[in-house]
Amino acid sequence: MKRLPLTLRRQLFATPTDGIITVGLLTLLSWAGWGVLNWAINSAQWLVVRANAAALTIGRYPEAQEWRLWLLLGMLTSLAGLSWGRLRGASGWPLNDRIAAGLLVALAVGVPPLLAFGAINQMRLLFLLLLLLLGRLAFSHRFSQASSKRFGDWWALIWGVAYLFGLWLIAGGLGLPGVRPSDWGGLLFTLLITSLTLLLALPLGVILALGRRSSLPLFRYISVGIIELIRGAPLITLLFLGQNLVGFLAPNGLAPDRVWRATGVLTVFAAAYLAEAIRGGLNAIPRAQFEAARSLGLSSVHTMALVVLPQALKVALPAMGGQCISLLQDTTLLSIIGLFDLLGIARSVLANPDWLGRYAEVYLLLAVLYWCSCAALSLGSRALEKRLASPGLQSNPKPQ
Amino acid sequence: MNATKQLMIEAKGVQKWYPNGFHALRGVDLEVHRGEKVVIMGPSGSGKSTFLRTFNALEDYQEGTVVVDGMELNNDLRNIDAVRKEVGMVFQQFNLFPHLSVLANLLLAPIWVRKRNRAEVEQQALALLERVGIAEQAHKFPGQLSGGQQQRVAIARALCMEPRLMLFDEPTSSLDPEKVREVLDVMRQLAIDGMTMVVVTHEVGFAREVADRVVLMDEGRVVEIAPPQQFFNHPEHERTKRFLAQIL
Repeated sequence: MKRLPLTLRRQLFATPTDGIITVGLLTLLSWAGWGVLNWAINSAQWLVVRANAAALTIGRYPEAQEWRLWLLLGMLTSLAGLSWGRLRGASGWPLNDRIAAGLLVALAVGVPPLLAFGAINQMRLLFLLLLLLLGRLAFSHRFSQASSKRFGDWWALIWGVAYLFGLWLIAGGLGLPGVRPSDWGGLLFTLLITSLTLLLALPLGVILALGRRSSLPLFRYISVGIIELIRGAPLITLLFLGQNLVGFLAPNGLAPDRVWRATGVLTVFAAAYLAEAIRGGLNAIPRAQFEAARSLGLSSVHTMALVVLPQALKVALPAMGGQCISLLQDTTLLSIIGLFDLLGIARSVLANPDWLGRYAEVYLLLAVLYWCSCAALSLGSRALEKRLASPGLQSNPKPQ
Repeated sequence: MNATKQLMIEAKGVQKWYPNGFHALRGVDLEVHRGEKVVIMGPSGSGKSTFLRTFNALEDYQEGTVVVDGMELNNDLRNIDAVRKEVGMVFQQFNLFPHLSVLANLLLAPIWVRKRNRAEVEQQALALLERVGIAEQAHKFPGQLSGGQQQRVAIARALCMEPRLMLFDEPTSSLDPEKVREVLDVMRQLAIDGMTMVVVTHEVGFAREVADRVVLMDEGRVVEIAPPQQFFNHPEHERTKRFLAQIL
């Protein structure tokens, strides 16, 4: 701590010019920061957010069915807590984890009253927080570490099942009253369509990337065709095209819901860009790896699946992470074709005469929500990169 | 046993042109018998590696025939796959799979190609690692090992498929001098155990000690084939003498 002033001086005030730049920038920053803060506290009217909190988060989802979303949230937070514990619990509570837990507690305790949530919703949020922390705690003991290793391989499967279960909870059917996709909305819709698109686009992207390098001419031409056609047109055009063209192609009444049409277009769009990222990864794998695998007698399919792709995907991971974030941001275009994603709902709220002129409040909230979602994706992909980069963690090394 | 059954490799009049028109192999003949150890030497660009790589179809050729273990390597993909199962190859740059642990490198092919039981292969793999002297590194990753250790893993990986023929493509050329010995020791032991081996190398000591015959290649042709004693002490051809004068 003693050396802090020295470091500051060296980095910020090394020369008189540096000093002037530092002081100038700090003044500018604090002026802008103060301006925003002053506006947010004194002149902004946050009633628009309070009154529309439900619409912004879940859109027109029927109120009577809301319990399903709470159940889903409860399941997700428990799983997230357990995963958190599994990944980081071995080392107890490192500083970063304590900061994260503190932030979460502050958010769950502080924000709901600020937004004037009902007492019951405040209780629910606190309960979610409790689930998360309990999950984290469950893996903090050495006793459960042993069992966590045993269930390690099942973890991806558990999340997969939870995802499908969540889709069922949201959409209904099979015993639950159905909720049409066009009634999903807001943050729920944005996150759902992003995750669904990603899950579908990843395998499709791999197939397109492999197709582009395939020795089968037809497969190659089709892959190159799809990739280049998609990359050559703006997403918004494709979305409009998807909304209208499918209506002509499918017989009356059989055309899929508009949400599914948009999901299809987004999936192919994301897959084309992911394919290019994956192609970059494939190109980075030396020919010698193919030769080594083939000389051991592995077939070309096994060579690709067991030797080349795992390495290529690792190389392509940073680029793919970037594509995922772009995709999340691209979902805002869905508001232009009339779907109620987070931006679409916000625009419809703002179109209500009651909330005339409350643009800054709503858009600031949107910016924060999108930023949080993108930051989470970015943190996640970087953590994954780091994990794959340390070779000791690629499989479970057994002590001799 | 008849003569063809005792032949492990029978190459006749092999000619290869690279797509850029370079005439890499200009009618090469070679016969390798079961259990025989053949060392191929020659200046760089002489086609020795290219020739070696035709034995497991990593290189194709345009004219001539290559028969390995009774199967002709032509465009028939089934033959190529069948031959590759029986032929192990060790590369100059090791070419281990960096994303897999040492043990997993060894297990991959036996499990996926031979469809063998994992536990059983694992035992064999650990025994092989013991044999090449790196059992304690089984759960490390290739990037954590020295060059010499990686090359020994590569040999063990090839052996784990229980090949009938081992090909070595300059196995010690990219090693630090002090690591060459540990790899050559493993190869010597393999030779003593009776493996059929074709080795492209510049290691004269190894060739003298282990080889049954030494081959000199130059400009895509075989110049001379002789037992090591004769090859190194009384070479017949002028080209061999010049080559030996350069490397000895």
